[in-house]
Amino acid sequence: MVESNFSLFPNALKKQGDQSLLVEWSDGHSSILAWKHLRSNCPCATCRDERGKPANPFQILKPSELVAPAPTSFVPVGHYAYRIIWNDGHDSGIYTLEQLRSLCQCTECLAKNNS
Amino acid sequence: MQPQANMPKLSLPNIKTIIAVASGKGGVGKSTVSANLALALSALGHKVGLLDADIYGPSMPTMMGINGLIDQEKTPLPLEKYGLKIMSMGFLVPPTQAVIWRGPMVHRALTQFLSDLDWGTLDFLVIDLPPGTGDAQLTLTQTVPLNGSVIVTTPQEVSIIDARKGIEMFKQVRVPILGIVENMSYFIGEDGKRYEIFRHGGGTKLAQEYQVPFLGEIPIDPKVAESGDEGIPIVRKYPENNVSKCYVALAQSVIRELGTMIAPKELPKLDI
Repeated sequence: MVESNFSLFPNALKKQGDQSLLVEWSDGHSSILAWKHLRSNCPCATCRDERGKPANPFQILKPSELVAPAPTSFVPVGHYAYRIIWNDGHDSGIYTLEQLRSLCQCTECLAKNNS
Repeated sequence: MQPQANMPKLSLPNIKTIIAVASGKGGVGKSTVSANLALALSALGHKVGLLDADIYGPSMPTMMGINGLIDQEKTPLPLEKYGLKIMSMGFLVPPTQAVIWRGPMVHRALTQFLSDLDWGTLDFLVIDLPPGTGDAQLTLTQTVPLNGSVIVTTPQEVSIIDARKGIEMFKQVRVPILGIVENMSYFIGEDGKRYEIFRHGGGTKLAQEYQVPFLGEIPIDPKVAESGDEGIPIVRKYPENNVSKCYVALAQSVIRELGTMIAPKELPKLDI
């Protein structure tokens, strides 16, 4: 049986005020993820496509900048991901556990990603 | 991977163990393995259901000898035959009619088959997946508490290549892989010699590559196709045949692996 990919697992999820999410991982690491960061890194096909396009020079604010992004629902998908329904109505992003971990904004991970 | 708009996790408390039988490639005998594995589990004394999740090309009506459409007002689904509870899209759509559906319709049909039908109490539900890594596979991995998957391949490289994709899919969605079955492994001729028609060892090699159990070899025997076409799978029609014994051994291996595996944990929830 393949187990290696099951090693990384969130033990607990907690809201950190209104702005971010705290994930406590099975390896002892704690990830801090701002909702804005998660929303702007939505893994759905539409958002990936949008991120790949050149910036619209006539758009002053992005839709996500008009209202601070916040989840209205954070639902497990199978044993491998979460689906986030956002307050702007967007609901098609499935964040795998590996993606959530890679988006970690703690000092340690930010330093590692920048090195 | 795109989700469906509504994706509630199904609660199936009366089904103890749900096993998906998958392959990357079509034509490797996945439905034959599913049907005979279900019958072998039943022969070992378990209560077993069989769900044909191949919405576009259902095989179970033919394999199980259930011909003609089912009038749902007169006959409750799932049907019971050979001691199994069986559901297939083929009971609802004539064999000459193509099901031309997009993903959300497949999702709805499969979730209805699982949640709206009275499966009763089952020890095992064997799900025969369609080939590939598409909508049916996603729906089931996202909404059904799968206990494990069995990967079917034939020995040659062209099948192994696609079986790898199936394994990678289950790894990604964190469904435990119970092991690999090599179907059409060899043929014993009338001269008693073993002929490896589609080469040999692909299943073992794949199992070693991914460090998953090799669950067994199923030989080729014309009786497999004959009994399948007749609607009486070989485990039922010729229980003393060598192929049937291989299926019983496969069922025992599956049970053994289920006993040793570490079940995936439920993901913690976040209260918003």
